[in-house]
Amino acid sequence: MLTRRQLIAGAGALALLPAMPARAMAPFHLGLTPVFLDNDAEVLTRLRDALSEALQVEVALEQRRTYEEVTALLLEGGIDAAWLCGYPYLQHKDALALLAVPVWNGKPLYQSYLIVAADSTARGLADLRGNIHAFSDPDSNSGYLVTVSDLVRMGERPEAFFRRTIFTYGHRNVVRAVADGLVQSGSVDGYVWEALTKAEPELTARTRVLSRSEWLGFPPFCCRRDHLGTSRMQAMRRAILGLESSRKGRDALALLQLDGMTEAEPSLYDGIAARMRDIGAARQ
Amino acid sequence: MNLLHRIPFALRVPLFTAAMMILVGLLASQQVLSALRQVQDTRIRELAQLQVEALSVALGPLVSRHDVWEVYDTLVRATGKNAGRKEGHRLVFAAVANPEGAVLAATDPRRAPVDSQLRALTDGAQDLHALSVNGESRAIKVLAPLVYQGREVGQILTEMDVSDLIAERQRVSRYLLVGNALATGLLAVFGYMVMRRMLQPVTRVIDRMRDSADSPEPIAAADMPVGDNEMTELANSYNTMVGAIRAKAETDRRLAERERLVSLGRLSSSLAHEINNPLGGLINAADTLQKYADRPEVVRESTALLRRGLNHLRDVARATLNLDRLDHEGAVLSPEDFRDLKLLIEPEISHKQQRLGWDIGKMDCRLPAAHVRQIALNLLLNATEAAGPEGRVALKAYAEEGQLYLEITDSGPGLSRAACARLMGEGERIVGGGVGLRLVHDLVTGLKGRINLERKEGETIIRVELPCCRE
Repeated sequence: MLTRRQLIAGAGALALLPAMPARAMAPFHLGLTPVFLDNDAEVLTRLRDALSEALQVEVALEQRRTYEEVTALLLEGGIDAAWLCGYPYLQHKDALALLAVPVWNGKPLYQSYLIVAADSTARGLADLRGNIHAFSDPDSNSGYLVTVSDLVRMGERPEAFFRRTIFTYGHRNVVRAVADGLVQSGSVDGYVWEALTKAEPELTARTRVLSRSEWLGFPPFCCRRDHLGTSRMQAMRRAILGLESSRKGRDALALLQLDGMTEAEPSLYDGIAARMRDIGAARQ
Repeated sequence: MNLLHRIPFALRVPLFTAAMMILVGLLASQQVLSALRQVQDTRIRELAQLQVEALSVALGPLVSRHDVWEVYDTLVRATGKNAGRKEGHRLVFAAVANPEGAVLAATDPRRAPVDSQLRALTDGAQDLHALSVNGESRAIKVLAPLVYQGREVGQILTEMDVSDLIAERQRVSRYLLVGNALATGLLAVFGYMVMRRMLQPVTRVIDRMRDSADSPEPIAAADMPVGDNEMTELANSYNTMVGAIRAKAETDRRLAERERLVSLGRLSSSLAHEINNPLGGLINAADTLQKYADRPEVVRESTALLRRGLNHLRDVARATLNLDRLDHEGAVLSPEDFRDLKLLIEPEISHKQQRLGWDIGKMDCRLPAAHVRQIALNLLLNATEAAGPEGRVALKAYAEEGQLYLEITDSGPGLSRAACARLMGEGERIVGGGVGLRLVHDLVTGLKGRINLERKEGETIIRVELPCCRE
């Protein structure tokens, strides 16, 4: 049985129908990578359902293996929006705009962790020389940029400092690689590591956090700057920001161990930008 | 070998059959285990090939671009380690190396660290195409090239858990051992019983021969083996043999009878004289009685003479009759028997003008009188024959310590070889040729006695020892 609100909304939609472009009814494509979100079918389904419900339009999740792929897809218009990392956002700051930022432990901030095996004797980054080191993604802030920029600040060349580096394209994979002994150290998203301590404590127990970075801007939802003003994108922005107001949204946030979503200014990512500048300076 | 021969034939053949059954059981078990090993080898080879092929497909592109993480992740998924599955997963360890042998990734990175040499782990690794589940090792290593798009991009070392196969083999071995032991045991018992049954006619013949050695009994018609085969032939031959033995025993009996009568015949002439000599005196006495019937003193004398003569005749007749009673039971040896003997032999002695020595001692010995009399008489007759005219013959008889001793001595030239053989029971029995010596031998043997022949100072001494019977 239809409620009165649904009836009015439906009538409104019908009245607007001739004026709306065909695209408005097309599914909303949201890009994701397993770098940040592991392929947890339940999390993805809840998130999709919550956004679809809020948006009243079907949301299609587009997963790609790397940030580079998702970013490229977003820039070329293959997807409408994407949950990116601060680093690729800043790399394409001119073309991309911030839609919303997750709130974790009350703040839209997170840290990068440098982890080693639980039985490792290393006391700092300097002790990891000559090791095999795992990064999550070359376009990840916490899983790459932070460690590399730290090394640059130490006057080291990352490619020479470590004996070998590998990319696992997933923060959870970095934790696994370190825990299993495939590598001796890894750079991982602090939020993911903390979330894993609750979901898979036996996995993180085999690792030890060697160092934590300063607090940096949480990976944001981005869209093309030129699409930001469209009603469709604004509706999406509202849907993301209003996730905590619906039951499905709260379920999804609970699974993601997030408090909610908030608006953000580009200045939130100044810390990352500073690290990018240091690397850029070193490479010149 | 000696021990084997000591086991009775009727037991040896069934035992041999049982042993053969056990041997067959062992061989069959060996065959089954060998077949099982081949099946397991084929199975593990197929599994390993499938596994390596599947891993090659999955790992090929990753190895060619040296993607350490993806190689590791794929290996971990293949071993099921990621999902925490360990039970029932055959692939327990895998390591992939580049063509130079440096490890790219392994399911257990601590055991095979990245960039270490795969060589360190390939000890005991088998070739994929000659894979075999040998020994008791619970895991086998397989080293195979990693081929992608027709190009060798690296090597893969896999360790497969074959504990289930080893356990299966051990289980089958156990079942075979128990099953075969039972089956061969049953077969052995069955074979033993069948062979026992088949050999029954032989054992029956053996038993009959053993149980009735003196007078073998023929196999009854009901017990005869059925069918026209070797066993029937054996039983028939046995029965024929029993018949022949019985016929021979009958002949022997008749022969002995004749020999007994021979001694009587030999006595007949002297006995006739013994009867005839007093007859003249008796007739004279009768005439005197007739003529002087009125003279009492003459009548008394003649009557006394008549009585003495008639008594003598009665004694001779009794002794002769007793001699014929060989088979009659009951009479036990007494000094009376030796008096009879003397009565019988004396006419022969006096006829030949020989001297007779007669020494009868204590006679407290139970023995059948007729047999002892026959033995002594025959030996005495032979002694008088051997001693010749005016020769010397003597008999000494006494019982001592449960034995009766008869010692017959003569002054003759000694026994001929043939006579000696007859007396000692050697050689063939010759019908009609004997003078009772064979009878002596048979009687002494029958009484479980012994004969001893001695020649001493021109005299022949024959000693007979007879054990007295118990009361």
